[in-house]
Amino acid sequence: MDVFSNLALGFSVAVSPINLFWCFMGAFIGTAIGVLPGVGPVATMALLLPVTYFLTPEGALIMLAGIYYGAQYGGSTTAILVNVPGEASSVVTALDGYAMARQGRAGPALAIAAIGSFIAGCFATVLIVIAAPPLTRMAQQFAPADYFSLMLLGLTLAVVMASGSIVKAIGMIFLGMLLGLVGTDVNTGNTRFTFGISDLFDGVGFVIVAMGLFGIGEIIKNLGDPERRDLVSSKIEGLMPTREDLRRSAMPIARGTILGSFLGILPGGGGVLGSFSSYSLEKKLSKTPENFGKGMIEGVAGPEAANNAAAQTSFIPMLTLGIPSNAVMAMMIGGMMIHGIVPGPQIMEQKPGLFWGMIASMWIGNLMLLVLNLPLIGMWVKMLLVPYRLLAIAIFFFCAVGVYSLNNLNTELYFMAFFGLLGYAFIRLGCEPAPLLLGYLLGPLMEVYMRRAMLLSRGDPMVFLERPLSLTFLIIAAVALILVILPNIRKARQEAFQE
Amino acid sequence: MLRRTFLTVAAGLAAGLGLTVAAVAQSWPDRPVKVIVPYAAGGATDAIARPWSEELSKAFGQQFVIENRGGASGMIGMEALVKSPPDGYSLVMSPNAVLSILPSLKKTPYDPLTDVVPIGYTGEVLNGFVIHPKAGIKSMNELVDYAKKNPGKLTYASSGNGTANHLRLEALKIRAGIDILHVPYRGGADALNDVLPGNVLMQNEPITLPHVKAGKLILLSINGKVRNPDFPDVPTMTEAGIPDADVPIWFGFFGPKGLPDEIVQKINGKMMELAKDEGFKKRLWTVNSIVEPKTAAEMRKLLEDDIKANLEVIKKGNIKLE
Repeated sequence: MDVFSNLALGFSVAVSPINLFWCFMGAFIGTAIGVLPGVGPVATMALLLPVTYFLTPEGALIMLAGIYYGAQYGGSTTAILVNVPGEASSVVTALDGYAMARQGRAGPALAIAAIGSFIAGCFATVLIVIAAPPLTRMAQQFAPADYFSLMLLGLTLAVVMASGSIVKAIGMIFLGMLLGLVGTDVNTGNTRFTFGISDLFDGVGFVIVAMGLFGIGEIIKNLGDPERRDLVSSKIEGLMPTREDLRRSAMPIARGTILGSFLGILPGGGGVLGSFSSYSLEKKLSKTPENFGKGMIEGVAGPEAANNAAAQTSFIPMLTLGIPSNAVMAMMIGGMMIHGIVPGPQIMEQKPGLFWGMIASMWIGNLMLLVLNLPLIGMWVKMLLVPYRLLAIAIFFFCAVGVYSLNNLNTELYFMAFFGLLGYAFIRLGCEPAPLLLGYLLGPLMEVYMRRAMLLSRGDPMVFLERPLSLTFLIIAAVALILVILPNIRKARQEAFQE
Repeated sequence: MLRRTFLTVAAGLAAGLGLTVAAVAQSWPDRPVKVIVPYAAGGATDAIARPWSEELSKAFGQQFVIENRGGASGMIGMEALVKSPPDGYSLVMSPNAVLSILPSLKKTPYDPLTDVVPIGYTGEVLNGFVIHPKAGIKSMNELVDYAKKNPGKLTYASSGNGTANHLRLEALKIRAGIDILHVPYRGGADALNDVLPGNVLMQNEPITLPHVKAGKLILLSINGKVRNPDFPDVPTMTEAGIPDADVPIWFGFFGPKGLPDEIVQKINGKMMELAKDEGFKKRLWTVNSIVEPKTAAEMRKLLEDDIKANLEVIKKGNIKLE
């Protein structure tokens, strides 16, 4: 059976001592930084991207993935204990989780979050193993025209799924595309938007953009906000959930897992959509919806499972097509590109150890989080007592060293500072930086694929409509765009996001 | 009078400078030597630079430290070299293209023949044109026949406009009198993604060779004076009837203008020894580099020949970057 031999290969890579170590480090560092208020997984990954440069590609991706689910776990921890969601997808967790914590039931809330995440993670990992090979085989038949249309679809869906204003999301995507086009044009060798600065000839580095927008920008914002320290003062007693807790959580976890797995595959989806949808689903199914927000364990179990399942399945488009469906996957692709790996369907064949090793490591990493973090909760809480203004300095320092270590260029530090300020401005203006990052990555690729398709068709634009795959993607993109523009659907969408 | 004084002073200064340079050259190296690699770590150039730096560190008792300064097709790293003092503590390990192609295509902050001093040869890459089996072409002869009957129908993926493997295509087109569509990519790995499924039919990159061994692509010829030992049945371009179309790709150590000849000879002597060492040669072959001993003067001649030949291809092929 192919599935088993692939998994066996994956585990043989993932359980090598050095990779186990990186998996642990990723999960551990991820949790640690995820616990810190305001620094979510994307910022954490951006900060640690330069570090992965010194590892093997396997170690690097395993650690990055570990940071991702570790940070998410850490984000839920702060959401429950301090009512400060580490990231958007834990916003929902804070609603009932913090209420539980105030009732002295922080332990069960944390445990259920971990158990729900673990179960969802296992299920999603199996799903990746089953779905990846056929999807990859399909992707290998993609011609440049198909890729162009697929990316157009991805960007369209990113707009449709963005939680804020559509106009702002579109604006951010276009701004990202412009940024992505800085540098040498592949087809003519001409340089564009470089203002004659030779350090811009190869474009603005991904790490610089990501670190500035997500890392520095968020730190400035957090420093500006008054510190929130509504720590649960009562001691955390009784870590383990009761039998009753487990019984009540079982179905929400199952539903959340399935819902999240499905939503995660969609471009622009990922954790946020999963956890929000799961929360409203549980509320609708509950016999006592009025108790939600007052410490219902279902409101923690479902969204946490959905969040983690979606987080995991969003690896599918990235691994099989090389297309990032959200900002976290953009980071993973950044991590691959640092190692000179071109993301795409060829990865599974050319680097099976990397591909399956990373998938297997996800399962191991989730297990590690479960086993290691429950006893460490006390330590994480203590870490919250370190004043943020001191942490901020350490993080700034780390960013600067990280960026400088990539190319030994002072100018790149200035660029990072610029993007930090820009990121702060975006937060103030209510513009999500995630669509910008997608535009930055996909925009230049789309341009290249479009021109390549036209070159191969000898200038005939019909190539986009003649290929069945390309045509299908274009039709779906058009339908999605029309739907979101229709007035009553737009209203429903706004209501859905308000919840 | 003033003029004479000036000349005397200048002569004295020059003599003094010459003396210090000689003294510096004698004690060289008494601290670590920086080796600039004008591409990112993990790339083909980096892979060749590392074993050489390791062996030179052992031979001279000082670390040869690699500093990756990638960007702008190698121009940024080469610029960093020519701005360094010619004291032997800043060298570059670069492919010939940064010197033999780039300056003929765009304004570079260095002149390849006057600002840069060749030191030692680190090897040549031996690969050639590959084609996807779906084209139904199995040899260079068949390729030329097919292209003559179907001008512009074959497609070729290069790793970018103005790269050495783009020039290899143009040289083939000029020498064989055929037309093939050029499709530029962002690097060889990117190009390979479209060549493996046959979206684009041809390529000329070392990374295609494992796929030739796996039977997924067909190797038609080798751009070089000798055959590739891993593919003894594949003829060189000249053997296949297309002479003067090689556009050789080789690598070497270079220093900035004014580097004392004594230092050049010191390094070159050690490199010539290494180039004869069978164990070291095998190790370099694993990173696709075939090495032979060459003096600094031979390297310079090689560079001059390349610049001349490439310029002709660039002109006839009408290759432009701006």
